Amino acid sequence: MKFNIISYLIGEGFGNVFKNKKSTISAMLVMCISMLVFGLFFIIGENVNHIMNTVESSQEIQVFIKLDATDDEIVAVGEQIKQIDGVNKVTFVSRDEALEIMQDRLGETSYLLEGYKEDNFLKASYKVTFTDLELASQVESKINELDNIAKITSSNETMSKLLAIANGIRIITAIILVGLVIGSIFIIANTIKLTVYARRKEISIMKYVGATNSFIRWPFVVEGIIIGILSAAISILLVGGIYKLLAEKLLESTIVKSIGLSLVTFGEMFSLIILVYLILGIGIGIIGSLLSMRKYLEV
Amino acid sequence: MIEFKNVNKTYTTGTEAIHNANFKINKGEFAFLVGTSGSGKSTLIKLILKEEEPSSGNIIINGKDTTFLKKSRVPYLRRSMGVVFQDFRLLPDKTVYENVAFAMYIVKATPRHIRRQVPMVLSLVGLSGKAKMYPNELSGGEQQRVALARALVNNPSMLIADEPTGNLDPETAWDIMSLLDDINKRGTTVVVATHAKDIVDKMKKRVIQIDNGVIIRDSKKGGYNSEI
Repeated sequence: MKFNIISYLIGEGFGNVFKNKKSTISAMLVMCISMLVFGLFFIIGENVNHIMNTVESSQEIQVFIKLDATDDEIVAVGEQIKQIDGVNKVTFVSRDEALEIMQDRLGETSYLLEGYKEDNFLKASYKVTFTDLELASQVESKINELDNIAKITSSNETMSKLLAIANGIRIITAIILVGLVIGSIFIIANTIKLTVYARRKEISIMKYVGATNSFIRWPFVVEGIIIGILSAAISILLVGGIYKLLAEKLLESTIVKSIGLSLVTFGEMFSLIILVYLILGIGIGIIGSLLSMRKYLEV
Repeated sequence: MIEFKNVNKTYTTGTEAIHNANFKINKGEFAFLVGTSGSGKSTLIKLILKEEEPSSGNIIINGKDTTFLKKSRVPYLRRSMGVVFQDFRLLPDKTVYENVAFAMYIVKATPRHIRRQVPMVLSLVGLSGKAKMYPNELSGGEQQRVALARALVNNPSMLIADEPTGNLDPETAWDIMSLLDDINKRGTTVVVATHAKDIVDKMKKRVIQIDNGVIIRDSKKGGYNSEI
């Protein structure tokens, strides 16, 4: 008996979808377009996050210690830096190591530094990486408050620019998402209203024979869900195809190659996008159909 | 079975459709509801079906006061009554069989029960051979028989008919009325709103006459007019 009802509902739902081909197709079209736009921004956002993560792990600042600090004081500074929130890794570069690095850089002319082995003018330093780029400036100012700090070098500006871009994309994606949800709900509601209107006679008969509201409602909800799922499926294919094409072109380009940029593959985002699209499609379908039914259930 | 106690109905437009209606139709009875159009017959039917709420008074159906019945319970109340209308209200894209089976789907009957019950009811209304035809292939009388079959298929305890013969020629109308009489003899309470004078006069059933929203006559074995 249960199976019979489910097959009745699904049959009716599909019947509705195919009876109103024109309005169904136009609703799906609009839903696909908005899902597509949302999807592309979502993907750009994911990629920016990915790039940010790569940058985050490689981004470091160098904290130079005053020359007159004692060894104990230097160790103390290292310990204090490790205590700060947002600090990931702290690496010590001793004065001797600093000199070696400098000699390496000079290469053939490294003999210039020979005389300084006994009288090293270079400062010891700590290289610090972050757990989260957003905490970078906070960490820096905290380090500045410590004793025996000579200087901090960083590439703070690139970081804040990246952060601004990432946040901007997040906001745009959110706005598009809200617009997509509201717009699509109304479009689906209107599409289903046409079916409901075409079947109002049937609905009134159902009411006279004693059908419950939920029984009458379900086929239309199923119709909404079907439109939602179909739109989601089409959008996934389109977004996947477009992304693959764009990403390949981008990765082939010399600029991207020279920076050594990597992008998220579509496969990595695939399950997340499917999930988001299906939730959107089904949710919008249900809410849209419920909205469209309200008026006609009063008999 | 159906009892009206001091029922008044005033529409939001201000029209007083029913004024202080009191009557009781017992189980197994056959009652005509007569009156000119606009007299309040349709409102009475709508009140019985709980399509409209009374402005005051109580309507008791099958021993239950429906005045405070929750909206969500109305479908279950309606399952106890079959309804037939003047315009048949069949689904044109469904066959005779499907039109009747549809009413059973809605109350979630099992497929086995549907396969057994539908042919039985179709033979009761004399349409056994026409199960696979579509409504537009049938005459008006036959269409009303399909509507009757649909109303009866879930074994309601009462049958409410609103001008069931209004669209039919006199001879066919008579067929439908005698079918209603048969149904009544099988134990179903039947309430027929009509202004088919000849039929009411001939059948000698209970007549409740309404005029301008007031019940002006309730006679046990009356005719359409009070003189008879």
